[in-house]
Amino acid sequence: MAEVTEEKMKWGMAIDLDVCTGCNACVTACAMENNIPFTGEDESGYGRGLHWIRIQRYWHGDYPEIKPDYSPMLCQQCGNAPCEPVCPVFAAVHSEEEQINLQVYNRCIGTRYCANNCPYLSRVFNWFDYEIPEPMAYYLNPSVTVRRRGVMEKCTFCVQRIHAGQEQAKAEGRPVQDGDIVPACAQACPTDAIIFGDLSDPQSRVSQMARSQRSFRQLEELGTEPRVIYLKGGGQYGG
Amino acid sequence: YTDMPEYQQTGLSTYFATTCRECPAGCGLIVRTHEGRAIKVEGNPAHPVNRGKVCSRGLTAVQGLYNPDRITGPLQNGSEISWDQAVAQVSEALKADPQGVAFFLGLAPDHLFDLVSELTAALGAPPPVRYGAYGMFDARRTLTEAAKLTFGVPSMPFFDLGESDFILSFGANFLETWVSPLAYARGLSQMRRGKNNARGRLVVIEPRQSVTSGTADLWLAPAPGTEALVAAALANLVAARLGLSLPDDLASVDPKEAAAAAGIAFEKLQEVAAGFASARAPLALPGGSALAHANGLAAARAVLVLNALVKNLGRPGGVFLTPADPAASSFADVQDLVARMNAGKIHTLFIHGVNPVFELPAALGFAAALKKVPQVVSFASFPDETAALSTLVLPDHTLLESWGYQRTLAGADREAYSAAQPVVVPLHNTRAAADVLLSAARQLPTLAAALPYADEVEFLQARLLPLLESRKGFYDAPEILTFWSQWLQYGGWWPQRAGLEAPIVAELYAAAAPLTPPAPLASGELHFYTYPTQLGDGSGANRPWLQETPDPMTTVMWNSWVEIHPETAAKLGIHDDDVVKIVSASGEIEAVAYLYPAIRPDTVAVPFGQGHSALGRYAEGRGANPAALLPLSVNESGDLSFGDTRVSVQPTGQRRPLSRMENRHGVYDHAE
Repeated sequence: MAEVTEEKMKWGMAIDLDVCTGCNACVTACAMENNIPFTGEDESGYGRGLHWIRIQRYWHGDYPEIKPDYSPMLCQQCGNAPCEPVCPVFAAVHSEEEQINLQVYNRCIGTRYCANNCPYLSRVFNWFDYEIPEPMAYYLNPSVTVRRRGVMEKCTFCVQRIHAGQEQAKAEGRPVQDGDIVPACAQACPTDAIIFGDLSDPQSRVSQMARSQRSFRQLEELGTEPRVIYLKGGGQYGG
Repeated sequence: YTDMPEYQQTGLSTYFATTCRECPAGCGLIVRTHEGRAIKVEGNPAHPVNRGKVCSRGLTAVQGLYNPDRITGPLQNGSEISWDQAVAQVSEALKADPQGVAFFLGLAPDHLFDLVSELTAALGAPPPVRYGAYGMFDARRTLTEAAKLTFGVPSMPFFDLGESDFILSFGANFLETWVSPLAYARGLSQMRRGKNNARGRLVVIEPRQSVTSGTADLWLAPAPGTEALVAAALANLVAARLGLSLPDDLASVDPKEAAAAAGIAFEKLQEVAAGFASARAPLALPGGSALAHANGLAAARAVLVLNALVKNLGRPGGVFLTPADPAASSFADVQDLVARMNAGKIHTLFIHGVNPVFELPAALGFAAALKKVPQVVSFASFPDETAALSTLVLPDHTLLESWGYQRTLAGADREAYSAAQPVVVPLHNTRAAADVLLSAARQLPTLAAALPYADEVEFLQARLLPLLESRKGFYDAPEILTFWSQWLQYGGWWPQRAGLEAPIVAELYAAAAPLTPPAPLASGELHFYTYPTQLGDGSGANRPWLQETPDPMTTVMWNSWVEIHPETAAKLGIHDDDVVKIVSASGEIEAVAYLYPAIRPDTVAVPFGQGHSALGRYAEGRGANPAALLPLSVNESGDLSFGDTRVSVQPTGQRRPLSRMENRHGVYDHAE
């Protein structure tokens, strides 16, 4: 078997707002992949829904020249993450291996400091144990932890899929190729607005999109160094 | 497992290709299973319809399979019976007068429709009626009739969005439910990315901003019912620019008057016509909400004529004819069925894949008509409103436990059959409807000879044999069992290369339907608009994650709302979250107000899919069903003209806050 050198990859995501239709397929796909419980009408109305990704819809203009502006919002996997230094138990950590922000569920003691410090409101808290009646729990993904009450959770860039892709490549004796690893949201996205890949490879699709004239990062001025890159929509090309 | 199947390995997932049945588009799925359980639905990357993509409805199919409220075995008047007893009852029914046997089927699956068509032909019974909310919202019969008027062939056309650079949609909500949403969403994405970075444009003409018009580069809001006039006006402007002449009925429309009737600035229409006429590959789409009016056929024809004017027929980025069988019935056919039920002419009614008591206008009186039928046999997997009124409930498997096929209706650039196979063993004591019918038929000498199939799989293989023999597919096989294994592995059958027929303008100048404008609104009256959401035909309401997936435009979860323009709401004294009563000539509902800035001030809209009185814990007692408000009037093709509904809206003095995602973040951007 050929020797494969393991280089650390810098995972990133690019979202093209010009082709994002706001359809919410990513939201459902994320929930079905990551064992996210549904909370019901009352709890979701209180803002306690456990969406790891959501579509923010802002209206622009007045009738009849009005238009919604969608932006999918998820954990921005900050290089300099405000959630990490405030956790008293190191449950919000930057992983050495994948170089992404991860939440260690069995360390979390539920102080919610991390969520309060997240400028993207992308962390969600399990206020209760949410019942999934039998036999509905049959579809739970065995590759993802089922969380309990009192635990903070958030987007992991589908870390289970990153590992599966790396193991598959290793078993085949080759390096991970661009497009091998696709998180659930990007896989479902009907218009391919979400692209995932390695930002350290200048040839990867995500790197090419990151270099687009239309690219920007959410709340860049905070210095969080997000790994999620957005491309301006509405036909605004050339910056 | 005590005896592990050979394909199964502990700790490893197995993937099966199958076909989605959440709507009739026939998208290919790959389902991840793990130790005998269905885990995650993914798209089939090789499939010509969805190319590996999947929508919210398809994704939650596992919540249907593992729904805690499923019907777990055959029931007669609410008590459990055995399958042998059930089959004997069906057999008895088929023995009686064939004229009194009726089948009401949904738009999926196709193989069951084919089997029932064979069965009714052999029996001498009337052919099955095939209808449902998807057909109603797309006004499919109107579209196929317009295709016949314009191209001489009654076909569901395929629209090549991907290669187009200017799409003009008349209410086609192709990002939500129209015909084949994933195929057309991919088309939009290709069109937007453009060739040589020439970004394509999307213009949508509809009274209320939908996800599709929200994504558009230009949205124009005509008064409901004037879409036909707008299409005719645009045809005149485009023809004038291109120096072409139009048929008399279209030429008689004055563009300025049409713009005034629609409430759209004439300059905007000129701008759209100029863009359309000068685009490299312009394309016009006749969506359901534009056709669901008294003048719907004229609207559909005017839109197809727009395509003919710019000569995009059979060209990349244009209109193609599909081989899909346009077998769907119209609303008028359903009315005919109900009349026969009420007249006591039907002794046994079989219902599969549709929930008419919920999906059809309440004014039709389907529930009351069911009481006149001695034996109502429902094949529902879930305890829906129709199953509750049935004498015999013979639960079918859910899609992830089923065999079958779906002909792709109009979402693929080639002829395609999509394969369905079980990905898990059936969870409950359910049985395939096809198997129930075949077992019952076997007990009757006349039918046994006409339907010589041992079971559903044998029937499927017999129907697939012509595909194998055509040798047109991307794989070949010497005999049916080899073909069958590839069919299951790839998830269907389709040719290697794209290829559809080009339409020919047969009778462009033939007389068509009259272009009558709608009557003006009376004082206090508003147009009423209803549209399907991610809950589809309403059957998605029992999937908790579809309920908790926010509506893209309002971000509301788990309930119904009524969209009212803020100005109109202010006049009526209605605030956000007020419970309002909406009254039409047919009925009334109560729903919570959502002040929606992207709707015509003279129109209110309620999404379709909620308001169930049955269907299990996640669906019941939630929101309102707008079917209560719909009229029974039909257009010339026999499709329900639900777009002509008019209502009055009054506050009730009560409040009920909606559960909405945007609560946390505010409605307007900070920049504004």
